[in-house]
Formats: sequence, structure tokens, C-alpha cells
Amino acid sequence: MPRTIWNGSLSFGLVNVPVSLTSAARDLDLHFRQLHKKDGAPIEQRRFCSKEDVEVEWEEVARGFEPDNGKQVVLTDLELASVQPRKTRTIEIEAFVDLEDVDPIYFDHPWFLLPFGESEGTRRAYQLLLKVMESTDRAALGRFVMRTKEYLVLVRPRDGLLSLTTMLFSDEVRPTDGIAPSARKPAKPKVDQAVAVIEALAVDWDPKRYKDCYRERLTRVVRDKKKGKTIKAPEEPKQPKPAPDLMEALEETLARMSDGKSKSKGKSKAAAAR
Amino acid sequence: MPKSIWNGTISFGLAHVPVKLYSATESKTVHFHEVHVSDGARIEHKRVCSKDGREVPFKQVVKGYEVSPDEYVVLEKDEVAAAAGARGKVIELEDFVPEGEIDPIFFEKTYYVGCRDEAEAYRVLRAALERTGRVGIGRFTFHNREYLVAVRALEGVLALHTMRFHDEVVEADDLDVDKPGKGPSKPEVEMAGQLVKSLHTKFDPDDYEDTYREAVLDLIKRKAKGEDLTPAEPEPEEEPSDLTAALQASIGKGS
Repeated sequence: MPRTIWNGSLSFGLVNVPVSLTSAARDLDLHFRQLHKKDGAPIEQRRFCSKEDVEVEWEEVARGFEPDNGKQVVLTDLELASVQPRKTRTIEIEAFVDLEDVDPIYFDHPWFLLPFGESEGTRRAYQLLLKVMESTDRAALGRFVMRTKEYLVLVRPRDGLLSLTTMLFSDEVRPTDGIAPSARKPAKPKVDQAVAVIEALAVDWDPKRYKDCYRERLTRVVRDKKKGKTIKAPEEPKQPKPAPDLMEALEETLARMSDGKSKSKGKSKAAAAR
Repeated sequence: MPKSIWNGTISFGLAHVPVKLYSATESKTVHFHEVHVSDGARIEHKRVCSKDGREVPFKQVVKGYEVSPDEYVVLEKDEVAAAAGARGKVIELEDFVPEGEIDPIFFEKTYYVGCRDEAEAYRVLRAALERTGRVGIGRFTFHNREYLVAVRALEGVLALHTMRFHDEVVEADDLDVDKPGKGPSKPEVEMAGQLVKSLHTKFDPDDYEDTYREAVLDLIKRKAKGEDLTPAEPEPEEEPSDLTAALQASIGKGS
């Protein structure tokens, strides 16, 4: 059973549903430890005072903030805790929004909300909220505090459970100013050809098509090294030059694809399996 | 003009789009330095060898992967880089999938894609993605690590999301959750439906401010003025309520 990070209640009008929070993403990365090359001993990070050059215990550490113009302000963890809003154990639903209006750019970390405790009433209230959101394609916006920080969250149904996503605030998403090229309509025949290429490479979304090749290669590197093999980094390939004629490149792509289709299962599948 | 973090090429078929990447998001959480409480001096982190207790320069640091307790396979930095793959600076879009089919749970971090040199190929790809309602799936190597990415049209630009792999996403089936013996009743679902309706609003991200960030900045101001800061008491937990009565009260019916 996955680890519970937080428990409290989800409040919806005057209905309170006791819930627990568990991560909906797992970390499968290979984690390395820093070692001292000379003797292979693990390296420890220790804190030193930059003024006195003596080691400092964790209890002796406070938080310093430097305003743009002004003297450093020092806060202890206890003082910082005083800004915790009062309702620390409640996810308060403030509004319901249409899921399609929320761009995924705002999504931060995914979690599951599970009914907490054995009470039948809890499970029914949980089920009620789930059902009503499933039937309306709406998601609930709320706020809650976890580990001293307040989050804006979106609660929505996912596979028969309630999922919760912490969200970024609007000023944490940068404007696109200066990134888009000057607004000019691209030539229609080129777009038509590009659409044809996209349609030729169109598949349904199936996350199982894509393996984490990096994780696999890194696992292999570790295994080879353990066996005492030498590992050589591959050379970096050259940047491809954009085709002088985009239209020709797109037409050539389509021509090769229709050739390839008669001989094999198509390029796209082979690429995905790499 | 924002600063780009990567220069490369997005390709689909034989068409190459020269691009630059920009961060699309930035955390605005108030960041503090660690300081020594007695003299307010900055804390420095030093790498110290756990065996001889001496400081270790960065050049003397290697990466160790623990294969069994206290047994490490040692990798040099360029050996770790060998796993990055040889794709270099090309993001090849291999598949195009309907935008609405991808659960946003797969999206991790977002970048904006800008164009480099000429813009026609960029405009063509953006327009074609928009017209088909599809996103391109490819792989992207960044800082010696390969990511699965989705490229889609967003407003006037292209956005690139790094993605989680399927085994990194927890499914509902992985969790053991008991269903209630008796589901909610029809009147309860109807009442809850009314409540959802009454709280329904159009999502506008500008409506939500990070009040916690503001409170922290306010606290800093008060401390700078020399105010005494006292921690607040946590609130006691609330009991689960009688569902029907709570729903009735929420939509303003009954007692």
C-alpha cells in the first residue's frame, strides 16, 4: 500500500469527507550517491558557518531573506510556522470548473485522494462527490496546506477515484510574449502536406507504447561497469540542416511513407519500440 | 525577450523545424537562505568524506550506485552521460495522438518552443497540429538525460511537455480502496448536483492568488520592523457529518 503523505478532510459545502493523500506518480529514476573518488567512501554534506568556519547543527540553522534593497531578515522555523493558515487539515472546495478550461500547463504534482478511515458514511460521501463530478465533467478547485505551504488544487475523478493535482499560480506561468514568430499565415499547401504527414503518423494514445530507454540504458551502464567493462560515451551527431524546400521535404516524407507501408508495418511503430 | 535554454531541431518526417526552448514556468515560492542563527552568517554546504572527515573538492567526486548495502558501482560523469543516447539535438516526433486522449497526469514540466532562424516551418507545424487537434510525441535529450515529450499548439506558440512514463503513473488498480456497501441515494446525488451547479464558475487562473506567499512576505516585513511573532494554534479535526443533512444545509434547504 502506498504511503500516505497527508490526511484531513475534503469539505464541500457543509459535507466533510475524511481523506488521505497518496502520490499518483512514482519515482523510478536511478539515484546515485556522491562518493569520494580516492577511497570510495560516501560523501556527506555538512553545514558550516561562512563567518566562523565551524560546523553548524541543524537546530542552529534559521531562514534568511534578503530583500532587493535592504538588510537581511532572519526567521526561525517557529516564526515561519505562524503564517500557516488556521485550516491546516481541510481541503476546502471553493468552486467547480469545466475541466476543459484548465490548461495542463497549470498542473504540478498528481496525487490520489482516498477515503480515510473505516466509516461507511465517509465512503458514501466520497462516492457521492466522485459520482457527481463524473456525471458533469467538472472538477473542483480548492486550497489546502501541506508541509507549511498552501496549494491551489484541482480535484477530479480518475478511474473511479478522486485525484488531486497541485497547481501553479497564474504568475508562475510565463507569458508567451516574444516567443511566437511574427503572426503570418503559413502557406496553405504546406500546412495541407504537414497535416497529411501528421495523419500518416497518427495513432491512439497508449502510454505503454513508450518505454523509458534512458532508465534502461543507465541500468545497463551500471551492470556493465559492475562487470568491469569500459563505457564509452557516444559522439554527438550533427544538427540536421532544415530542408531548403519545406514543401519538397513534406512530399518526400509522404512518398517514402506510402512506399514503406507496402513493405513493412510502417516507420512509426519501429521508432516507438527503440 | 526571455532567455532560451536549448537550441535544436524538431523534426517530423523529413521536415526539420529549427527551434529554441524557453522555460514556461517559474516557481514564485519565497526562497530563504540557510543562516547561522547566532550571527546571521550564511551557511555553506561542504562535501566531506565520511571516512577521513576532510573536505572533498568537486573534481574528486564520483557517482556511486548502491547495488547492495554499502556496495557501490562507481561511475565517472562521462560514463553516466553514455546513457543519454545519441540523439543529440533533435526531437523527432514519431507519433501524433489526439490531444484530448492524454490524461494531463502524464505531463511533467512545460517549455515554450520558439523558432530559430526562419519561421515558416515552425508556423506550418503549429498550424497543422492545431488543425488536426493532435500532439506530437517524441524524445528529447537535455542535460544528458532523455525525456519523452509531447509537442502541442498552445495559443500562438508550440509548447513542449516532458512526460512521465506509464510505469511512473500510479493507477487506481494499484490502490486497494473499499467501495461503500450502499452508494449515495438518488436525492443525495441530485442535491450534490445542485451544489456543484451553484458553485460553478469559469476557470480564470488570475482569480487565484498565492495567499501563502503573500503571508510569508508580510511576515518578513513585520519581522524587519521588529514585531513579535507568535505561532497560531492548529485547528481541531472535523467529524464526518450526516450526509443528507449536510447537503440540505449546504443548498439552503431543511434545518
